[in-house]
Amino acid sequence: MSKDVIVTENISKTYGNPPLQVFALRDTNLRIKQGDYIAIIGPSGSGKSTLMNLLGCLDKPTTGNIFIDGSDVSTLNENELARIRREKIGFIFQKYNLIPTLNAQENVELSMGFAGVDSQTRTIKAKQLLELVELSKRLTHKPSELSGGEQQRVAIARALANNPSIILADEPTGNVDTKSGENIMQILENVNKKGETIIIVTHNMAIAQRAKRVLQIHDGVVQEGHV
Amino acid sequence: MFRDHVKLAFKNLRHRMSRSLLTLLGIAIGIMAIISLLALGEGMQQVITGELSSLSDVIIVSTGGNMFPSFGGGGSTGEYFTQRDIADIERIQGIKEVSTQLSGSGLAEYNGKKTIVSLTGMEVGVMTLQYASQNLEAGGFLNEGEQNKIMIGYSIAHDTFDADISVGGRIKINGEKFFVSGIFGKQGFGGSSSDSIVLMSSRDFQKLTGQSNISSIYLRVNNVNDAESIATIIQTAINENHGRKDFATATTMTSILETVQTITGVLQLVLVGIASIALVVASIGIMNTMLTSVMERTREIGIMKAIGATTRDIMSIFIIEGALMSSVGGIIGIILGVFGSQALTLILGSFMSMGAGGSFELVPIITITTVVLAIAVSLIVGILSSLYPAWKAARMSPIEAVRYE
Repeated sequence: MSKDVIVTENISKTYGNPPLQVFALRDTNLRIKQGDYIAIIGPSGSGKSTLMNLLGCLDKPTTGNIFIDGSDVSTLNENELARIRREKIGFIFQKYNLIPTLNAQENVELSMGFAGVDSQTRTIKAKQLLELVELSKRLTHKPSELSGGEQQRVAIARALANNPSIILADEPTGNVDTKSGENIMQILENVNKKGETIIIVTHNMAIAQRAKRVLQIHDGVVQEGHV
Repeated sequence: MFRDHVKLAFKNLRHRMSRSLLTLLGIAIGIMAIISLLALGEGMQQVITGELSSLSDVIIVSTGGNMFPSFGGGGSTGEYFTQRDIADIERIQGIKEVSTQLSGSGLAEYNGKKTIVSLTGMEVGVMTLQYASQNLEAGGFLNEGEQNKIMIGYSIAHDTFDADISVGGRIKINGEKFFVSGIFGKQGFGGSSSDSIVLMSSRDFQKLTGQSNISSIYLRVNNVNDAESIATIIQTAINENHGRKDFATATTMTSILETVQTITGVLQLVLVGIASIALVVASIGIMNTMLTSVMERTREIGIMKAIGATTRDIMSIFIIEGALMSSVGGIIGIILGVFGSQALTLILGSFMSMGAGGSFELVPIITITTVVLAIAVSLIVGILSSLYPAWKAARMSPIEAVRYE
């Protein structure tokens, strides 16, 4: 039986003070296991991004606790959260979010650099990962010299660089054409087959259907769902 | 990690090349100004102290609290030393030689025009020593044993009478004929009193005026180390002779040297202070560039934070960027400073030569300390100016930063 990589206990996120308080997320209890492939769906403003930010340690819940690989991250300070993000989580953003001044290989190496990996190991690993996403001929290309699909594949390679246990992808196919989107999904699914936990936020029902588990959010309330 | 941060900072600077260059130019100009002025000040100090150091065994005794006797003007306080003072000084052990400067005035006549001039009489040997540093426009110093020969200042030669006086020219003083042996070059501000000097041997002075008004006493000691103590003894003895505590001041060249060094030091400090204003402006330029950079790279900062950069990483990247920019500016400033100091010396040298009527050998001196100091200052300026922008970048929320368009 797979272990829990993420456990949330009654987490809520509110903005503002009563009576103008807004609930972005309400009393959410989740158990996400190693190797899960989850799609989070819901209309705009439903709380998808809030949940994503909390699971990715980019934000802290107003109430409740989040456990990642067994440790409570709700009370950690900014630098400790940065360490968790570095070691346990890989982010893939809709707009790729690569560093424009760095080439593909340097972008992949960057997060390993923050983790203190030595230069030689970083170079070898970055090349391997870019080969995995079929970009071994684009190592020295800057983001501006790559297509949308290629940039997103660099972003996937970067997300995998520090061997995280969780990959969080926010609309990973939102800015690319259908063919590139399919390519990206196949890469993510291959990664998932190797035991990585994948959590995808999407509007695209076709993408959501491919997931093993779907979470639906309405007005900050999370429910197990079906597509 | 530090190497990676440097690499990243370097790439960012290159990415915004023209802005980086302009900011860097600000620092370069500031450092250039400081280097040029320091080199010039150092050169000036060397020239002045070099001249004075060669006279380190000399003690000058003058009346009143005047440390620098009025060369050529004489008797500015209207009080004079007596033969008893001279005899008392000669009795003190450790003194090699004593000579006096006599001061008075006489009626000079040249080419039909008459005017009152200040006369200075001194031993010929002392005269050569005391005026060695002053440029001669024409002719030479008096020789030992020569009679009825004088040396005159620039304004006596050119401005006092209707016609210019040249070497070999004949001037009547109190009805006695004197031949001009040498003419001093123009001294300008610092030595304006020398411009109106009429210098003759002590013997001629006494013969001409029938007076021996001793305005200053020059003496040399056997041992330079005794100069200070001998000066104190002389001052006490002469003051006792005249029954006043402040009648005479005996000054060694060492103390004059110290005073001159203090003055040039303060002058240098003031000049560097003024030049530092350029550096302050440049540091504001760095801060401005870095703040703009933080704004532009908000999203990039968010991405770095999301993929695991700590507050320290972000701060380090921005501080290194500022430090890199200012230290490159500093190095360029040093190179420009080398040329700047040469140019400044040429301008100042030609200006002073014009004033002095001869060559003025000022060489700018850039020491290793100055270079190290300039690099250190530019580095510190870079670090301090980027502290606030770096802190601003580091405290950004990753969520807000990633969302930033």
